[in-house]
Amino acid sequence: MSQTLTSDQKDALQEVTNIAMGQAASTLATILSTFVTISVPRINIPEVSEIGSAISKMVGNGKEVTAVRQSFAGHLRGEAIIIYGQEGCRDLADLMGYDEDIDQSAERELLLDIANVLIGACLNGIADILQTGLTFAPPSIMAERVIINSLIDPTQLTWNNALLVEVNFTLEARNFSCHLVTLMPEDSIERLKQAIDTFMENF
Amino acid sequence: MSASLRDFIVDEVGVGLFAVDRQMNLLLWNRYMANHSGRTADQVLGHNLFEVFPELPRKWLEKKIQSVFILKNFAFTSWEQRPWLFQFDHNRPITGGIDYMQQNCTFMPMKGENGEVETVCVVLFDVTDAAIYQRMLKDAMRRVEEASNRDGLTGIFNRRYIEHALTTEIKRVKRYGGSLALTLFDLDHFKKVNDTYGHLGGDEVLKEVSQRVAANLRETDILGRYGGEEFMIIMPATDQEQAYQVAERLRELVAAEPVIFGEINIPATTSMGLTLQADHHESAADLIHEADLALYYSKRNGRNLVTCYDPAVHKEI
Repeated sequence: MSQTLTSDQKDALQEVTNIAMGQAASTLATILSTFVTISVPRINIPEVSEIGSAISKMVGNGKEVTAVRQSFAGHLRGEAIIIYGQEGCRDLADLMGYDEDIDQSAERELLLDIANVLIGACLNGIADILQTGLTFAPPSIMAERVIINSLIDPTQLTWNNALLVEVNFTLEARNFSCHLVTLMPEDSIERLKQAIDTFMENF
Repeated sequence: MSASLRDFIVDEVGVGLFAVDRQMNLLLWNRYMANHSGRTADQVLGHNLFEVFPELPRKWLEKKIQSVFILKNFAFTSWEQRPWLFQFDHNRPITGGIDYMQQNCTFMPMKGENGEVETVCVVLFDVTDAAIYQRMLKDAMRRVEEASNRDGLTGIFNRRYIEHALTTEIKRVKRYGGSLALTLFDLDHFKKVNDTYGHLGGDEVLKEVSQRVAANLRETDILGRYGGEEFMIIMPATDQEQAYQVAERLRELVAAEPVIFGEINIPATTSMGLTLQADHHESAADLIHEADLALYYSKRNGRNLVTCYDPAVHKEI
């Protein structure tokens, strides 16, 4: 069975994500001591067969990317993916407490760190507003320098739907931006819908 | 759950557990941490983590822990990037090569009544076994690769195989007579291709050029990838005239059409150098050296060119 959001639910989720990301931006700014701009999130629930193409469209067809994945559990469960463009986040090394020159292993650690911070900020924000809590597993590198179109193999996905939250992070005076994708199984999307309904009633 | 049961679990759980407040003072230090560090809870509790352990990477770790306080979010470290946080011995003395206990750490925010994070609790896992298995796996993969004759990217013969084949061919000529030609070629401005189109673009060029050349060789010729963007063709029973014709045809074939990479056309050309086996050659290395000198002259004379080695002209670089 495929899940769709009513336009009210979609608006509400968009708003919830927007508030969460706004808070994320300000806490990130504190951590990184730089101005963080976050795009208004765009929400989409594609069918499993369209997940790959939806992600390719979002990031840009044929682009070379590096991706980090991290699973989360609790009232909502699923997997979040941060997709970095080719420039990665080498430019952020000094902001995260690294010395200027970083080797490959430090770069990977940085990719993992940034992904963890962004995913946590986004999902904790949503969970807070929906009054639930999440726990996170360690992030890991999903793919390095692959063409975006081959990042996700739909035949490997066991879930029928994904919640695609498209958010762009941009840092002032830094060459950095990335995309966040959240994949959740149906039961979690159902719970999310219920939580959104509760949230709308109380708002 | 009773407090004594909780204390028992914290001490006996088999992973390292410690906690700090915002000033980085230690609030918890379980038996596992005490046993491995040689510092008891009594000695360290209430003290600053970085004063007790000055060898810790303070700048980075402090930033990490502070981020947990501020973002109220989990944080992690992995042995693959940072083998250990604390220099602990591991219990695999027989397995050499690993110096200290490999560690994964999870940093957890503990919120107080007001929703602010008051304590960061760190769980330290010994993953030395996983690190050892991973290293064994890598070794095994390397051995499999060594045992293979093929280059992973292009599918043509790899360096190990082609060097072996060249040695065999030289021995054959020395024993039974006949001629043998060797051609080395190299993609022009390959670094620029990588810089402009990314490594995937560069890989596509390597694959496509290998395929074009492989498809247009004579049946007895042997093609292999010699280095990054350097290739070798062994041409048995071939004189200089014939070798030059074959090389020239291959050069034209590569240059004739660009390599198609997605929606991008990447132009590719090759510089070639060839030489013939002669009595004064002792080994494959002598022959390769001469082909390399001729290749160098192709590069110097404008690239996209075939040069036959001539001892009078092509002197040491």
